[in-house]
Amino acid sequence: MRSLATALAVGLEVALILLLVGLSTGMIRENSRRMSGVGADIVLQPPNSSLVLAASTGAMSVKIADLVSGIEGVKDVAPVYLQFNTSGGMGLIWGIDQESFNRITQGFIYLKGEGFQGPDDVIIDDIYADGRGLGLGDQLKLMNHSFRVAGIVEHGKGSRVFIPLGTMQRLVGTPGQATMMMIKCHRQSDIAGVQDQLGRRLKSYPTFDMSSFAAHIEEANRDFGPLKYFTNTVVFIATLIGFFIIFLSMYTATTERTHEIGILKSLGAPQGYISLLFLKEALLLGGLGFLLGLGLTFGGRFFFRLLMPTLQHQLPPEWLLYTGALALFSAGLGALYPALRAARQDPIDALAYE
Amino acid sequence: MKTILESIELTKIFKTGKIEVAAVRDVSLKVREGEFIAIMGPSGCGKSTLLHLLGGLATPTSGRVLVDGEEVSSGKDAVRTDIRRRKIGFVFQRFNLLPTLSAQGNLEIAQEIHRNGSRDRQHVDEILNLLGLEKKTHHKPSELSGGEQQRLAIARAVINRPAILLADEPTGNLDTRNSMVVLKMIQELNRALSQTILMITHNPEAANIANRLIEMRDGRIVSQQQEGGWNAAEDRMPL
Ligand SMILES: Nc1ncnc2c1ncn2[C@@H]1O[C@H](COP(=O)(O)OP(=O)(O)O)[C@@H](O)[C@H]1O
Ligand SMILES: [Mg+2]
Repeated sequence: MRSLATALAVGLEVALILLLVGLSTGMIRENSRRMSGVGADIVLQPPNSSLVLAASTGAMSVKIADLVSGIEGVKDVAPVYLQFNTSGGMGLIWGIDQESFNRITQGFIYLKGEGFQGPDDVIIDDIYADGRGLGLGDQLKLMNHSFRVAGIVEHGKGSRVFIPLGTMQRLVGTPGQATMMMIKCHRQSDIAGVQDQLGRRLKSYPTFDMSSFAAHIEEANRDFGPLKYFTNTVVFIATLIGFFIIFLSMYTATTERTHEIGILKSLGAPQGYISLLFLKEALLLGGLGFLLGLGLTFGGRFFFRLLMPTLQHQLPPEWLLYTGALALFSAGLGALYPALRAARQDPIDALAYE
Repeated sequence: MKTILESIELTKIFKTGKIEVAAVRDVSLKVREGEFIAIMGPSGCGKSTLLHLLGGLATPTSGRVLVDGEEVSSGKDAVRTDIRRRKIGFVFQRFNLLPTLSAQGNLEIAQEIHRNGSRDRQHVDEILNLLGLEKKTHHKPSELSGGEQQRLAIARAVINRPAILLADEPTGNLDTRNSMVVLKMIQELNRALSQTILMITHNPEAANIANRLIEMRDGRIVSQQQEGGWNAAEDRMPL
């Protein structure tokens, strides 16, 4: 019974890590896929902004769009203002200038309704609409402001939620600003030249070639992203919890079985034999816990999908290996002291133990 | 006759706070191959402590113990454990069987420890037959009677053919009938297999079947009978 509870606790450790990694990976991949789906060739960001969560700290003047349009090879420029959607659900709201945005994306594919008719209109994608049960003409509260659902579009172009750029600027209090410029070139072969020109004219403004965006953003998240620290912290704490649970469980088990240990010692079992006995048991618990954790992860994914269809869960397969290793590692480490202590007991004391 | 076990001026003093108890004092003793020795004496006179020292379960305060020529009284747990594994079989008053294993499992684990891993199912069956436990192979200790449990414990103690069997009141927890069965078995091991045995007992019957009787009092050997006759111990008699 205690063994089962211990294995379950290790399972929770594993599931916690896998769900977290799965969700963050899913989110990142989904975001970068949608980002690529916009159809821009180059993204220009204000200085000191981070691509990692596509949420910029800085902003730039919309007028930069005019400067960019002047560069040879540039076909269209669309300023976008990104803002975290804090009221309900996760993800970003994009403030777009409908006309320029449509030129870049070749236009939304409307499943229902149409584009913005007024400043308080919102366009949402089908997944968002299904997830929240929204229909055409429904009211949607975003950033403490009421919007009317004007159109429901096929997902895959940038965001799940779009509002007019002007409204966004007003609500955020940054008139005339954008956090990102989507740039489309005439030809594939113009991209390098345009990027070069941008680098020259807007020195501290980072640019990204969208063809390598997905790979870039995933790498950025893996190496520098705040998510990495968050993930590492959760992994560390989960491993620590696994360690303490195994430690307590094995400490209790070795104490309870003191008399048996005395018997083994009287039979001449060396310390290594006795330690190994308990280590093996702990590793077995760790392994069982890992399997339970996989079960919990897949169960958890299923519930996430039911509850929040907009959340994507993708599990990089190497994390199965990592968490398996972590479960065994925390089990082995947690059992180490109790196992050594058990093996070092005085045989007479152990035999006398009731 | 070869000496299987020898103790030389063996002394064990327990310190509890400021109180010192000399449980075993200056005990010198020789056990020859094939002997069956019974140790008797009042409660608390140091019999169990002596057995623990002889079997390498505890270390003496001074003096030495040699089992089959090997020094057991070393302070190193690993050395003592190794000699226990290779040379000594224990039987205790409380049977000390592993409760989660079957009769067969209890014997196999003793083999496994003795041989560093390997088991010999056939020898296990032989021993179970010899001790009349062939029908209880798959029973857990809790499913066996006291007599059966002690027979199983004896089987476990001799399964690896130890140089010496050390028994501490093996009939202490048994009724008269079961005591007789167990004593018969121990005697049989001594006669048929020439098993060297040193047994602590309160049972006068047990003393009779042994071929040498040692009396202890207050941590000392006070008399040793040899091959049917009494010899005064070199030690001064108390009182
Ligand atoms: N671990 C110990 N600590 C302190 N005193 C002990 C310990 N073990 C035994 N003694 C004492 O040593 C003496 C001999 O004990 P023991 O060898 O068990 O006697 P016996 O087996 O003859 O009844 C007793 O006075 C007992 O209280
Ligand atoms: Mg005793």
